[in-house]
This record gives sequence, C-alpha cells and structure tokens, in this order.
Amino acid sequence: MPQFEKIEYKPIPVSDLLVEMKNLSELMIDLAYSAALFNDKELAEDVIELERRIDTLAYLLDMEIMIAARDAKDAETLIGVSTVAAAADKISDAAADIAAIVTRNIGVHPIVGEIFEKVEERLMKATVKEGSVIIGQRIDDLDLAARMGVDIIAIRRNKDWILDPDETERIFLGDILITRGAPIGIKEFKDIAEGRLTKLED
Amino acid sequence: MVEHKHEVFEEIVTRFVELKNTSELMIDLAYSSLMLNSKELAEEVQRLEEYMDKLHTDFELLALTSDFKKEEASGFLGLIRLGVATEKIADAAAEMAEVVLRGIEPHPVLKLAIREAEETVTQACVTEGSPLINKTLKEARVHEETGMWILAIKRGEKSLRPKPDTTIQLGDILIASGYAEGVDDLKKLASPAHQCQIE
Repeated sequence: MPQFEKIEYKPIPVSDLLVEMKNLSELMIDLAYSAALFNDKELAEDVIELERRIDTLAYLLDMEIMIAARDAKDAETLIGVSTVAAAADKISDAAADIAAIVTRNIGVHPIVGEIFEKVEERLMKATVKEGSVIIGQRIDDLDLAARMGVDIIAIRRNKDWILDPDETERIFLGDILITRGAPIGIKEFKDIAEGRLTKLED
Repeated sequence: MVEHKHEVFEEIVTRFVELKNTSELMIDLAYSSLMLNSKELAEEVQRLEEYMDKLHTDFELLALTSDFKKEEASGFLGLIRLGVATEKIADAAAEMAEVVLRGIEPHPVLKLAIREAEETVTQACVTEGSPLINKTLKEARVHEETGMWILAIKRGEKSLRPKPDTTIQLGDILIASGYAEGVDDLKKLASPAHQCQIE
C-alpha cells in the first residue's frame, strides 16, 4: 500500500500551482517515454514519484479554487481552471502508466527501442565522454535552449537520476544526459557531449 | 521471414510514433486555444481527437494481428499500453479544449500560467518586410532559426494546419510553441519593422 500524506491548505498562488503542474506533467511524459525506450527502471520509479507530487499540487489547487469562488460568476470562470488542472493531472497519470510498463517488468519489445530511436527525434540519451567541451560547465552557461533548442531533462550520476536539473548544475565526465528538443539540436548536442564535436557554436 | 517480421514491426512502431506526436501536438494546441480563447484551435483539437481514435484502433489491430511468439507477448502488451497512454493524453487535451468550446471565458490565471511555463505558446503576425513572406514552411526554416514549432497558421477566418509546402503570406498569424527563449526571435522574424497587436 502506498503511503498517503495528509494535505494541509497552504496559501500558494493558483498561477504558481498551474505553472508547476503544466511543466511537471510535460516533463513526466518525456521522462516516461525515455524510461520505456531505454528500459530504465530507476527513471520509471522517479516518474511514478513525480505523479504523487502532481496529485498533491492538484489537491492544493482545488482548495485554492474553492476559497476563491465567492459567487456564481466566480464559479463559472474558475471551473475552466479546475478542468485544465484536472487535464494536466490526467496527463501525468498517463506518464505514470507508461512508467509502470517498466517497473512491472512488462517491458516493451526490444526492437521497439531500435526503431523508435530512428523515428523519434525529440528525445536522446548521451554519455559525457573524455574530451567533451561541456565537462565542468554549468547548464546555464551552455545556453542550450537558445543555441540549439535543446533542454537537459535528466542527468544520471552515481546511480541516481537528477530530474529537471537546476540551471546551476555542472556537467561531469561520465554523466548520462537525457535531452529533449529540436531534432537537429539534440543530434548536435550528442556529438558535443560525446566529444566528437568540440565547438559550441553561437 | 525474419525480414518480413521486422517490416511489420516497423509499421507498428511508425504508427505508435504518429499517435505519440499527435497527442503531444494536441496538448500544445489545447493550451494555445486557451491562451488565445480560440474556438478554431479548440475545434482542431477535437478533430485530432477523432483522428486519434481511428489511428489508435488501427494500431491495436495491427499489433494484435502481427504474428508474435508466446514469449514476445509481454513486449507486445507493453507496446499496446503505450498506445493506451497516448489516447489518455489526447483525451486530456480534448478536455482542455472543451473549456473554450463551452464558451467559458478562460480565466486570466490560465493565460498567465501558460505564458510563464518553460514551454510556451505564442503568436506572431507576418508583417511587411518579413523574410518569411512567400516562403514555404520548408524554406522558411522557422524552427532552425528560432527554436519555435509552428502549430497553426491563422489566415483571416481560417486556421491552417502547417505542411512543408504551405506558403506563408503577408498578414498571416503564426501560432507556435517552444521554449520561452525563442518567442522574441520568432516575433523579430515575422514582424521585423514593428510589433503588431493581436487580439
């Protein structure tokens, strides 16, 4: 049986809760597909953990909405907010379903990963190798989003996954990075991370 | 025989990728429809939802009729469950779009939240002097230049789904999604001389 925590009301702006739910649910989809394709159990378990975080956010958001509605007119406009939040929650549930394929050892046929890597162009796994110019650099200094439309969504280091790493996080030799973004960008980034390309272009 | 099997597999996975991509496009379009309070975009999401239903059935039938071995059943089950997840994501997107179609004026907090998220949706109008005018989407290379993906093109009353050979015209409104960093680049590219007011 999973442990359920008691959720107490906290005054957090509705927009903050929504932003976090939107970001987290979208991140979870990418992480869940990555876990399925790279057959990574720890990553899948982390996705399921995030699902619980979303559930908590959903409760807090519902409480905020209940407090904010003072009359029928408020209720009519706020129902849209709660519907959107519920949809983001459903997206995160779908991500957890994908992760469960991995954690429950159902697995995805091995050929899928192979073909998928050919056709799916938004997700990529790269290992930071000797000679790579990104070793020791901070993520914000790399400026990947502006340079090549790429975002590092997870780093595997010392057997742990760092999800949605902070901008101040540094890259180390041996890190496994999962990136998402523009097809051309992620290919270029993989070459840079693995030391085949030694120039970061502007 | 082995070759043939690989082909069948490739077909199944290709369809799965289409399910995945369509469901993700639907999320982007659903958030755009909320941000812009656009019934056309919300309707597009509903159309895609119907398309997803058909695609998903085809995908499941193909997976079930492919001649897999007993020991491969678990891997196939995994594939089928991936398909079910895309369907769930598409449903969630359709539910968001429904808010717009029901005539509920999206609460300002929604616009704020969508704009502040890491991946955002934006719109830019194509004005005099833009290098995009009369270029096809393939030639325009908007994504390479700005990092933004064009989700839809609004032309007068119509909303066009972008295809590589769609030509961008003066006066078009481009609806695009991507990291917040790309928004200004896209606006500069589409309206170099002056910013235009939409809404």
